[in-house]
Amino acid sequence: MSLRTKIRNYFVFLWRCARIAFAGDSRYYAWMGFLSIIILLGINAYAKQFVHGLIVTGMSDQVSWGVYIANFTFMVGIAAAAAMLVIPVYIYNNKELHDLVIFGELLAVAAILMCLAFVAVDLGRPDRFWHLIPGIGKFNFPGSMLSWDVIVLNGYLLLNVHICGYLLYCRYLGKTPAKWFYIPFVFLAIAWAVSIHTVTAFLYVGLGGRPFWNSSIVGPRFLASAFTAGPALIILALQVIRRVTDYHIHDRALLTLRSIVQVSMLINVFLLVNEIFKEFYTRTSHVASSRYLYFGLHGHHALVPWIWVAIIFNLVSMTLLVLPLSKSLRYLNVACVLAITGIWIEKGMGLVVPGFIPTPLGEMVEYSPSLNETLVCLGIWAFGILCYTIFLRMSIPILQGRLSRANEGLPDVHLVNAR
Amino acid sequence: MQFICEMSATVKTNWVLRVLTALFLGLAMAFLCNGWGYSAKLFPIPLVDTNFISTATVRMSAADLIRSGGDTSDFECYACHERNKPFKLKFDAEGDVLVPKEHANIVMGHGRHHRNNNCFNCHDETNLELLQTRDGRHLKISDSPALCGSCHGPTYRDWEAGVHGRTSGYWKRDLGPIDRKVCTSCHNPHSPPFPSRQPAPGPHPLHPAVDGKLIARSES
Amino acid sequence: MSDQKPPSAPPPFGEVSRRSFLRNSAILASGAAALAASLAPLRELSNYTSVELFLQKHYKELTPAEMQKVLDRIAREVEQQYHIRPRVRDYKPMDGVEFVYCLNLTRCIGCRKCVHACVAENNQSRNPEIQYIRVLKMPHGSLDMERADHNYAPASVPEKGFFYMPVQCQQCKNPPCVKVCPVKATWQEPDGITVIDYDWCIGCRYCEAACPYFARRFNWTKPSIPKERLNPEMSYLGNRPRRQGVMEKCHFCIQRTRQGKYPACLEVCPAGARKFGNALDPESEVAYILKNKRVFIQLKEELGTSPRFFYYFDV
Repeated sequence: MSLRTKIRNYFVFLWRCARIAFAGDSRYYAWMGFLSIIILLGINAYAKQFVHGLIVTGMSDQVSWGVYIANFTFMVGIAAAAAMLVIPVYIYNNKELHDLVIFGELLAVAAILMCLAFVAVDLGRPDRFWHLIPGIGKFNFPGSMLSWDVIVLNGYLLLNVHICGYLLYCRYLGKTPAKWFYIPFVFLAIAWAVSIHTVTAFLYVGLGGRPFWNSSIVGPRFLASAFTAGPALIILALQVIRRVTDYHIHDRALLTLRSIVQVSMLINVFLLVNEIFKEFYTRTSHVASSRYLYFGLHGHHALVPWIWVAIIFNLVSMTLLVLPLSKSLRYLNVACVLAITGIWIEKGMGLVVPGFIPTPLGEMVEYSPSLNETLVCLGIWAFGILCYTIFLRMSIPILQGRLSRANEGLPDVHLVNAR
Repeated sequence: MQFICEMSATVKTNWVLRVLTALFLGLAMAFLCNGWGYSAKLFPIPLVDTNFISTATVRMSAADLIRSGGDTSDFECYACHERNKPFKLKFDAEGDVLVPKEHANIVMGHGRHHRNNNCFNCHDETNLELLQTRDGRHLKISDSPALCGSCHGPTYRDWEAGVHGRTSGYWKRDLGPIDRKVCTSCHNPHSPPFPSRQPAPGPHPLHPAVDGKLIARSES
Repeated sequence: MSDQKPPSAPPPFGEVSRRSFLRNSAILASGAAALAASLAPLRELSNYTSVELFLQKHYKELTPAEMQKVLDRIAREVEQQYHIRPRVRDYKPMDGVEFVYCLNLTRCIGCRKCVHACVAENNQSRNPEIQYIRVLKMPHGSLDMERADHNYAPASVPEKGFFYMPVQCQQCKNPPCVKVCPVKATWQEPDGITVIDYDWCIGCRYCEAACPYFARRFNWTKPSIPKERLNPEMSYLGNRPRRQGVMEKCHFCIQRTRQGKYPACLEVCPAGARKFGNALDPESEVAYILKNKRVFIQLKEELGTSPRFFYYFDV
């Protein structure tokens, strides 16, 4: 095959993928329309923030990071969790999950895109974004953990785009993927997945002036909670895929994921207990933030109901996961939803906000997100879900063989009604 | 819903797209009207009184008065007193000096004991326009540091090093002059404790409407 | 967009494509309209940045000629906004100078004059309020910040049973804020002052999270300075007006101290509690204090930040 044909084929592939993203049944349009509306609300809210500055958020000099960074932290975990699908397949040769790896990695891509968006909206001077680009700007590497984060997040994005893109394209062409062209990247991505979340934890852990974060257990807790919430989200996503498309996913695959969530959740709760013991048994002056979080401090207790909801959700979810009851999908789903919600609270607002309260000078200023800030967050979530929907819309027909090089000449009609 | 279910796929899709078109247009209108979100108004914060940014010392010393050409009539003792006429101090039962009514503006409060209740500890009784130290040196009225230093040794040592009291102007002496404030620029010699004053306003929170109740935490 | 055709009963080709074309155009147009309208708030954007500012290099990479251009641009912008021609300079550190600040906790009466003199000198925003100095009212016998009162407002100070502790940038020898900045927008100068290039900062606020002294401040919106209170003696790394979305903090009044003057907070202190100077000069006040005063504190010494700001007592 000449290089020209190869390039032509690739562009035909991209064009057909793009076309198919716009094609679907009424439910698809309704869903995409709904997401677009939320995204538009988010864009509008961000435009206001761009003009007036971050004063439109609930943040202040006292609590200088809020839901943007909280969501960023959570989504890094979701992205890292794709590795939890890859490890069984490529290291333990698990057949059940083989084809599902793509769905996990696509979720990672969508999650990373959300992460980048959450960081971008948190910047006070988004116009100076180029200062962060290595080579052009002035990159404080290796000094700043944030510069590490820029590298690992973008690297992880590229790795996953490469692996997914290559595997899907091979499937489209109907040829076997060349192992040397993706297996090394798969293993690199596994190590990289751990690194993105560790580096994100180090963003917080490295700050000596914030004792609430300056604890070596934050990194392990991040991984444990990510490997709980990520696969839990994939369990739910796979069931949605199974329901709205005719792509076949066996229950056995979901139950394999269940055992991953089970173990991770146990570790997660165990590490949480460790942290709580250390804080409250020793009762040094550093316990202030934890006291604020769990019980309230000096009459301020905005986060108390949230964290207890998170703890109850985590405990109920753990109990369900340990019991054989959750081999039934209905209970498994309940456990997954509780785990995701619980971890989102605990790791997002429950980690970021109390680190700032009280301030290093002992001032108590609380934080709650403003309407504008919430709209921006919802917009980014909708954007991530929209991306994931589009990725699935493209990849499922390819995996099913409906969209392939072989049927290039045919109209794409038969694709549209793949439910 | 029954109606929707009975429609063919194409009709359903058309219907969804029509609704979406309407929603998009509605949303566009709402965006243009700016129906929600942030209003650029800030809560007013009054500008701080310029007294709070004045570099003036809390009082004028005799030296300051003389230098600035102010009213020095207070130091012209012999406008009222008679020269070469010895002056007798009167004391009450407690041993505190009785301040004559002509000097009613003087509050006697130097030290926590009665020993310092004697005008002539510091003023020269033979020449009221001079000061005198315990070791018998005679000083001009504007030369307070040497007088105060004769009792307050460690403080005088700090003052000489520029560490007690304010030193204004240039920290780098070869680039400009320094302005040494003297003892009586800040301390009233008859009642030296530093006077209390009204504090300047405290900080205003960024989001008063949100956390007006959250921010105030006073333990006083 | 692809056509929607049930494979079982395809309707006549032309009719569907015309109808679907209209339908698709309608949804695309309405979507585009909504997207355009969602950006409507951008209409209010004014003077956000300029081509020169956008392309400006990092402070350390500017040649003297380029720096002069930048200073001219800043002067022009200030004049446009405030109708006052400022004198904008870039003061360089002096050789053999390491600045140190000493604050006498026995003398401070908590009057907050330093706070407002600093605001006036350094062209800080009056609303929303940006202040580099925070004065803590603390009960006698404790350095526990959690017991500090930031909002005290009695009729007069000092109050019995309390002492007052002003906190501002501690100009650490090992500054955590500098370490975490992803773009090197903040760094330590040879004379010990940690400065910020306001034209390079991206506003991520990582330094604000890293600072153990609550010394850094963010411009949450456009700063506002009344024209009549503008200080026209400006410096690049110091008190020139900032833009929305960047960090700022105490820089020991770089525009004064690098000309040999004392900082504004010292000049206004009625109690003479503040002492500033060159620690490398044995004749300086600060050298005397560090040598002769027995008790002095570096705040949160255990963090290893090694502040150049010392609190001491007269004993």
